[in-house]
Amino acid sequence: MKKKVLAVVMSAAMIATLLVGCGGKSEETTTTPAADDTASTDAADDTASTDAADDTATDAAGGNYKFEIIVKSYQSSYWQAAVTGVNQAAAELGVTVSCTGPNAESDIADQVNMLNSAINNAPDGIGLAACDQDACLDALQTAMNNGIPVVCFDSGIPKAPAGSVYSTIATDNYGAGATAADNLYAALKDVIANATAPVRVGEVNQEATSESITSRGLGFIDKFIELATADGKTVAVIGNEYYVNNCKDAGDEASADIIIEVAVPAQTTVELCATEASVILNKADTIGMFGSNQVAAEGILTANGNLGVLGSDAAAGDILAAGFDAGSVIKGAIKDGTMFGAVTQSPLAMGIKTVETLTAIANGETVSDIPTDGYWYDSTNMEDASIAPNLYD
Amino acid sequence: MSKGVNAPAEKKTSIFSKPGSQKIIVLLVVVVLFVFFSVLSPNFRKYTTVLSIMDYSYYIALMAIGVTFPLITGGVDLSIGTGLICYSLAGGYLIVHCGWPTWAGMLVAVLFGVLIGTLNGVLVSVMNLPPFLATLCTCMITRGLGSICSKGFGISWPTSGAEGSWFRNVFKITIGDTKYPLGFLWVLLLVAIMAFVLNHTKIGRYTIAIGSNKEATILSGINVKFYHIMAYVISGFFAGLASIAYSAVFSTVQPGTGAGFELEAIGGAIIGGVSASGGAGSIGGSLLGVFVICLLKTGLPYIGLQANWQQIITGMVLIGAVMVDILKKKKTATV
Repeated sequence: MKKKVLAVVMSAAMIATLLVGCGGKSEETTTTPAADDTASTDAADDTASTDAADDTATDAAGGNYKFEIIVKSYQSSYWQAAVTGVNQAAAELGVTVSCTGPNAESDIADQVNMLNSAINNAPDGIGLAACDQDACLDALQTAMNNGIPVVCFDSGIPKAPAGSVYSTIATDNYGAGATAADNLYAALKDVIANATAPVRVGEVNQEATSESITSRGLGFIDKFIELATADGKTVAVIGNEYYVNNCKDAGDEASADIIIEVAVPAQTTVELCATEASVILNKADTIGMFGSNQVAAEGILTANGNLGVLGSDAAAGDILAAGFDAGSVIKGAIKDGTMFGAVTQSPLAMGIKTVETLTAIANGETVSDIPTDGYWYDSTNMEDASIAPNLYD
Repeated sequence: MSKGVNAPAEKKTSIFSKPGSQKIIVLLVVVVLFVFFSVLSPNFRKYTTVLSIMDYSYYIALMAIGVTFPLITGGVDLSIGTGLICYSLAGGYLIVHCGWPTWAGMLVAVLFGVLIGTLNGVLVSVMNLPPFLATLCTCMITRGLGSICSKGFGISWPTSGAEGSWFRNVFKITIGDTKYPLGFLWVLLLVAIMAFVLNHTKIGRYTIAIGSNKEATILSGINVKFYHIMAYVISGFFAGLASIAYSAVFSTVQPGTGAGFELEAIGGAIIGGVSASGGAGSIGGSLLGVFVICLLKTGLPYIGLQANWQQIITGMVLIGAVMVDILKKKKTATV
């Protein structure tokens, strides 16, 4: 008995320390909304709702709807921005939202459970960023049977039962990868034109399984090939089999002017991404790098911490690196010229549009799919009003 | 391994039973791996690569030093990987969002580790849960707690150059134009201290005693419960230190990650000669074992091996290490 009491006391002490530790001053920093709090954050006053609240805002005034929002995970600040957008729109439209999400994007079963509980709560609508394209199909059917409209954001569910998903709000990942290639190629054009020997462009993708990462990776490769071919150069793609086999033209390594080397680590951790990035950054013929999400881009920066080969002056021999997403580390690197630039999605707008669309559906309006763009940003335009709100920390 | 099998009986025992013999073998493996990768890849044999290997080894090495103690008692601590992330998130949250000074955040991380270590120890020693199960539970608990501590979001400890980023220089210092892996010095120092603790203090000796024969240790009137708890407290303390090393080397700490880190530390310790069934092991050996793992992790991509093969090879090396342990046991049993 004594022993059990001891254990209970210890656990209690542990949790108490936590609450005391984290609780203290956090009120003044509530710009980051709590995980599963309802929407009443006071943060939502003026920021980036420029392209948002158009017509739906007026309609919803007396709605008092209740929506359940399920994100993919809370693993990256990307989702922080999305949740901020959700809460902002909710405060503006006067609706109640409840946000949940699993610990990691790989916790597919957890997310399905969350979706099922959300359905049981009988909300006026559900916003879902599905971790897996297939795992949610049964739940979507249930939602439809119960008359609960679902809006997918960030990732679509192509096989969803007809009529269950009212709208999909997602980034065009292939296009976003191509945007990175556009900008990186433009900056490297002279180096490529003047090169006497083959040059190398590296790409680090954290995995080769999810739709978003593979689309970005392939979008980058295909666009780079297109631009280089237009300038009369030949390109070869080497490295990870998936990307080599699925790009438009893998070419021939022996005769190519430009080699695109694709690296995928064994696990999606920063340190393994960094190791893979080091291998490419260490090669003497490397002129450019692309990391297709926050983890991969930070991996490239971590590798560069020891190598010091990245920079913004391609003519002087710096390797130019393009990243993806934001976060304080990537933003800092772009500001100080270590990283050339990056593509950011618009998670904030995605969050806002999700709640707006749900409200529109609840009001009986007809809605359609909304593709959102990836925006290129570098040290010159980071502060622009159209870019800055999407550059979450 | 095969050498031992073919050698005459007396020599077999001398190779395997000599204290520290496995350490020499593992040291040789480290050297051979380094030479192997250096020969095959010109890019590998650069100072910056050594610097990277050092960077990525600190947190695993620190975890390995700590986890050697529970392993020697015949137990295991699976909570150190997710624990590391949890402590780092808790400390980082206080620094970044609550305005605490960096040292205070670091202190919280270490104390948090000690707390979870104590919980592990109580569960295993007082409440008699199997170590595997008890620490698996705290592994899940710390994974969830980490997300709660950071309100579910990733935390970036102060980046280098920013205010309060001095802790990064503790592990890597730049003098002139050259960066030095200062952290390695601290790791060596801690290895020396903990080797002394293991071999020359009550805590260490009783840890070994518990692992070799718990009943006999209880019967000799030793407060086994206390010393058993201490083994887990040490493991937790070092997981706390490892969380600082991790935060210092990497930029953003993501909640929900960390599962699998513990296996690299435990794998390193086993390669380094900690007996998989307890009762034997050394801190220096664990450190060398960690370098085998880190060299494989860093070196295999350099020789152009795709990710999945890297994991297969690391797994095979571990099997080899456990085989050596089993052979060693057999030898001592037959003589």
